Amino acid sequence: MKRAIAITTSFTRELFSGSEEIFAPEVLFKVLRKIFRAVSNVVYSLLGFGILILAWHIMNKSSADGLPTPIATFQVLWDLVKDPFYDYGPNDKGIGLQLGSSLARVFTGFFLGSLIAIPIGLLMGANAICRKVFYPVVQILRPVSPLAWFPIGLVAFQSASKATIFIIVITSLWPTLINTAFGVASLPDDHKNVAKAFGFSKWKYLTKVLLPFSLPHIITGLRLSIGVAWLVIVAGEMLSGGVGIGFFVWDSWNALSLEKVISAILIIGIVGLLLDKGFSYLEKKVTYSV
Amino acid sequence: MSYLKIEDMEITFNSLKGSFTAVKNINLEIEKGQIVSIIGHSGCGKSTILNAISGMVFPKKGKVLLNEKEIKGPGPDRGIVFQNYSLLPWLTVYQNIYEAVDAALASKSKAEKKELVEKYIKMVNLWDHREKHPKEISGGMKQRVAIARAFAIDPEVLLLDEPFGALDALTKASLHIELLKLWNLTQRSKTIVMVTHDIEEAVFLSDRIVVMNNGPAATIREIEEVHLPRPRNKKDTVNLPEYKLIRERLLSLLIEKVEIDDSDFYKEKVA
Repeated sequence: MKRAIAITTSFTRELFSGSEEIFAPEVLFKVLRKIFRAVSNVVYSLLGFGILILAWHIMNKSSADGLPTPIATFQVLWDLVKDPFYDYGPNDKGIGLQLGSSLARVFTGFFLGSLIAIPIGLLMGANAICRKVFYPVVQILRPVSPLAWFPIGLVAFQSASKATIFIIVITSLWPTLINTAFGVASLPDDHKNVAKAFGFSKWKYLTKVLLPFSLPHIITGLRLSIGVAWLVIVAGEMLSGGVGIGFFVWDSWNALSLEKVISAILIIGIVGLLLDKGFSYLEKKVTYSV
Repeated sequence: MSYLKIEDMEITFNSLKGSFTAVKNINLEIEKGQIVSIIGHSGCGKSTILNAISGMVFPKKGKVLLNEKEIKGPGPDRGIVFQNYSLLPWLTVYQNIYEAVDAALASKSKAEKKELVEKYIKMVNLWDHREKHPKEISGGMKQRVAIARAFAIDPEVLLLDEPFGALDALTKASLHIELLKLWNLTQRSKTIVMVTHDIEEAVFLSDRIVVMNNGPAATIREIEEVHLPRPRNKKDTVNLPEYKLIRERLLSLLIEKVEIDDSDFYKEKVA
């Protein structure tokens, strides 16, 4: 092994003798090792999907055509993705438009929910009385499926579309609220004492002590919130109808196209993954290390 | 009338189990520019006295006077160095000092504050590390940042709460010198009150040493005057006969039984 490396080293030296600082063998090995690791990770995940598709194929064979074949499904998926933005009237829109309207609802609801949850969470974390007042309410409401709020949304807003946004608002509240409150409440006395001892103003305390400390917790809450919101929107739109990825799933089922249903499942999964990755990137950005 | 005065102070904490008296009958007068150590066993309320001077804790009885004015809360005339550095981990060394200066000396201009911060960072030899975060520097450096932060707000009184407790002996010794250096650079005008459980540290640094009885409801046992010549240094000062004398005296005050009573052990062996 050592010998092999030595030979390769001398070989690369000869090859790149003119520009050794860039193509120094150590650097080259590092790059190669990185590429190898990336490729092997891709191979592992492909293996996982391979197993999934194989299981699907076996189930398809044994269920006597109840389930569509993988190939037929991918064909339908390709047709959907090929032309995502067509619009042939209220009951026939491209998958991109469906996704877009679902995402718009999720982000509107998520934004409004966060706008409510973060301040209340800050209050609950910072003030023991606020915590005592709100915590029992939160505990009762948190385990309720957001879909149970749908009728209330309908009565309140007289519109199925607004009621869907309303349930997303409710969904987004709890994880953000609880994480924010927890983050603020766990602020160590040491940090508070620094602010007290040096006479930090309220504003300085908020921006230089409280928020930097609790921001990672808040972002974690937001990340959980958007994840649940994306779960709930599918069910919500099945109830509300109109446009949206959830409605698309229900509509495809009514049209007896399981290919479309499975395609939608894949798309929902990928979008959910991207949302989560986005927030986990944000989380890493704001996390300081002690 | 002395500069910093504690009059017949008693401090009580209320908890679910009832009230607990930490210290009582505390009378202490400190002159301007003195270095005073408070020494005693763990839980004897020495930090409580310091917190009363800082204004974080209020006495149940008696009062603390600074310049003949009663202390009502924390203020920029008193700088604190905490036991566990207490730097904000999301700020750099520079920002940690700057935010304190910015808050405590709000009336100064931005340029003046900047100049002050830079001056004190240089004084504690951390100029090359000013852009680092606390996790990237050693314990000794962190405590130097904390000391620079306390000095930078130019307080009249410095309160040090077991400032060197978590450091190794070598770092501790060099920080003792650094503290005295800063004190000298400010014309020995700053009054320093330090809590410690290190006898040698107390003798080396202080003009007076307050020895506490054990808690609860701890009282002052004795106040030792230290007349060692200044400037002090680690090599000569510790060899002075007076240094050794005071150290022995404190040792015997704080450690009651120097010998272990082993008669029981022998009895058991015979049986």
